[in-house]
Amino acid sequence: MLEVKDLHASVAGKDILKGLSLHIKPGEVHAIMGPNGSGKSTLSNVLAGRDGYEITSGEALFNGVSVADMLPEERARAGIFLAFQYPVEIPGVSNMEFLKSSMEAIYTARGQEPLDAVTLLRKAREVCKLVDLDQQFLKRGVNEGFSGGEKKRNEIMQMLLLEPRLALLDETDSGLDIDALQVVAKGVNSLRSPERSIVLVTHYQRLLDYIVPDFVHVLAGGRIIKSGGKELAHELEDKGYSWLEGHDA
Amino acid sequence: MMLPDTLKEQALAGAALLDKELQEQAKQQSPHASNGLSAVRDAGRVALAEQVFPDKKVEQWKYTSLLALQNGHLKALADKTSSTVSAPDFGGVTLTIINGRLPALLPEIDGVTFSQEAVDQSAQAESVFSHYNAATLRAALTIKVAKGTHVAEPLHLIIISESDSPASAAVRLHIEAADNSTFTVIEHYVGSGPTLCSSTTSLYAGANSNVQHYRLQSETPESLHIGELSIHQQRDSRVASYQLMQANTLRRNNVRVWMNESGADLVMRGVFIARNKTHVDNQICIEHAAPHCTSDQIFKGIAGESGKAVFNGRIHIHPGAKGSDAKLSNKNLLLSNGAEIDSKPELEIYNDDVKCAHGTTVGQMDSQQQFYLQSRGISAEAAKRMLGVGFINELLMALPNERVAEWARDWLSASL
Ligand SMILES: Nc1ncnc2c1ncn2[C@@H]1O[C@H](COP(=O)(O)OP(=O)(O)O)[C@@H](O)[C@H]1O
Ligand SMILES: [Mg+2]
Repeated sequence: MLEVKDLHASVAGKDILKGLSLHIKPGEVHAIMGPNGSGKSTLSNVLAGRDGYEITSGEALFNGVSVADMLPEERARAGIFLAFQYPVEIPGVSNMEFLKSSMEAIYTARGQEPLDAVTLLRKAREVCKLVDLDQQFLKRGVNEGFSGGEKKRNEIMQMLLLEPRLALLDETDSGLDIDALQVVAKGVNSLRSPERSIVLVTHYQRLLDYIVPDFVHVLAGGRIIKSGGKELAHELEDKGYSWLEGHDA
Repeated sequence: MMLPDTLKEQALAGAALLDKELQEQAKQQSPHASNGLSAVRDAGRVALAEQVFPDKKVEQWKYTSLLALQNGHLKALADKTSSTVSAPDFGGVTLTIINGRLPALLPEIDGVTFSQEAVDQSAQAESVFSHYNAATLRAALTIKVAKGTHVAEPLHLIIISESDSPASAAVRLHIEAADNSTFTVIEHYVGSGPTLCSSTTSLYAGANSNVQHYRLQSETPESLHIGELSIHQQRDSRVASYQLMQANTLRRNNVRVWMNESGADLVMRGVFIARNKTHVDNQICIEHAAPHCTSDQIFKGIAGESGKAVFNGRIHIHPGAKGSDAKLSNKNLLLSNGAEIDSKPELEIYNDDVKCAHGTTVGQMDSQQQFYLQSRGISAEAAKRMLGVGFINELLMALPNERVAEWARDWLSASL
């Protein structure tokens, strides 16, 4: 699904990722943990194709194709989804109008007939319910005036509608109370399937109580410095990131 | 010859040509008849002969060049008498004007009279183009709404300018809504070909009247339009004017609102979009000439590629106009580096007892918003269009006529 090999990337001329490697197979759930500023969001943004996040060497292959040659929308159409750490507000563009354009583009790319307006609305309402988001949010501007938790649930709502093959969740758990965390986890778990891969980028262990990962990686200084099974997360929780400081994978 | 002189010569030639044609037509119909507007045209030609066409040294024309007119639009007259150009149906009563010609039958609405009277607008002339308009009128339309009349349905004026080669067509509208009346009028300018539409519209809102006015300008990019709009408000009148436009080869609107008596209230909303080498210039002036009037203007502009937009919003509070409340906002969005928007508010206040708020901004498209949409599979182009429509959405949402609003959303998003 995703193969990242010795990836070096810079943001605004500053080297952030310094030789990151990661291999994710279909059906797997990986957690990437690491201290603030270690490059977690940078990795997410590089994979999603944000302007200014430049791959300087190494490569990231999605189903065998280098993402570097793809526009952000092409990556999305191929099945990459990024749930943003800080979803941007877009006043004037209604959530529903946005979902319609997005669904149309992605369904068409997959060779599927786009949903008609009625079916789309019904589906959107269903997933809103699943993530405990009032239907009124469909009419509002994209993320406009949403609380932090509502923004995160709106991301998960989109993910459930778009059914990506690779979902990258960038600190979707941050700032959520325990109820919201469970709602998000329920949404993500409902998407788990043998064809789909999920990357949970998180600062804390607690999300992993609800979405149990197959692998846990520790990212520090722009590289994966340790990988292991789910027990690694607990170890980190007990000992803190300082435990790994100076440690090299 | 310098451009201003060339243009003047062509304008006079065009005016003479039209007058001759119309005189001959009148003679054919009856030896003694003369076209009813010949005196207006004569006066127009006399005034035109005394005027100088502006160049960029004239402050009000600093950002707008008349160079596009050198192709001869002024000297030839658009002669098509029927048109294939279509306009959307907004409900209500429709009246179509083709290249300055009125239909043989004017509509009938209870409490509203239609006539071909040409009301003298020379005192309100904003530029030489008012006189050109007078000098090249084939017809004029005057609409009077009687006192206390409430007209529920909108009157939809479809003004078509169409020609295959550079040519002009003049149209003059005069609308009076008498005291205590309620009226909605939609001016919709459409057309095709390299036609210059020369328009003048005057709108009088009587005491305690309620007038909704739409000015939609959706002519094709190769067209030109130089228009003048004056609004005159009496005591406690309420006017809402919605001006939506797509830029073209040369679009210029001179708009002046006279708040002549106390308690008048004006709401003005505007959207202008300039893409692909098109140009739009709005010069708006609100004359607060009486106490306790309120004016509230919001204009939003978008320019992309090498499109250029100019906005000049002047608020003039006269010495006796105490308790005036004037607001002006013009926010603009640039879609690319080659685009240009020049926006300037001008305040002229001769009174201490006023509330005045104004602001203009020019900003770029937000790259984070664009990336967010693209990350959901939406193409860069479509994302730009969505964000552009999002930018003007608040104004589209606030259009009271739903059919106009729905059409305008499709039209403006297609023009982005
Ligand atoms: N747009 C940017 N411009 C400059 N520096 C950036 C930018 N984005 C991130 N960085 C820097 O890159 C490093 C990694 O940031 P980030 O990937 O956001 O870390 P994390 O998500 O792990 O907290 C930090 O030092 C941060 O300051
Ligand atoms: Mg981060």
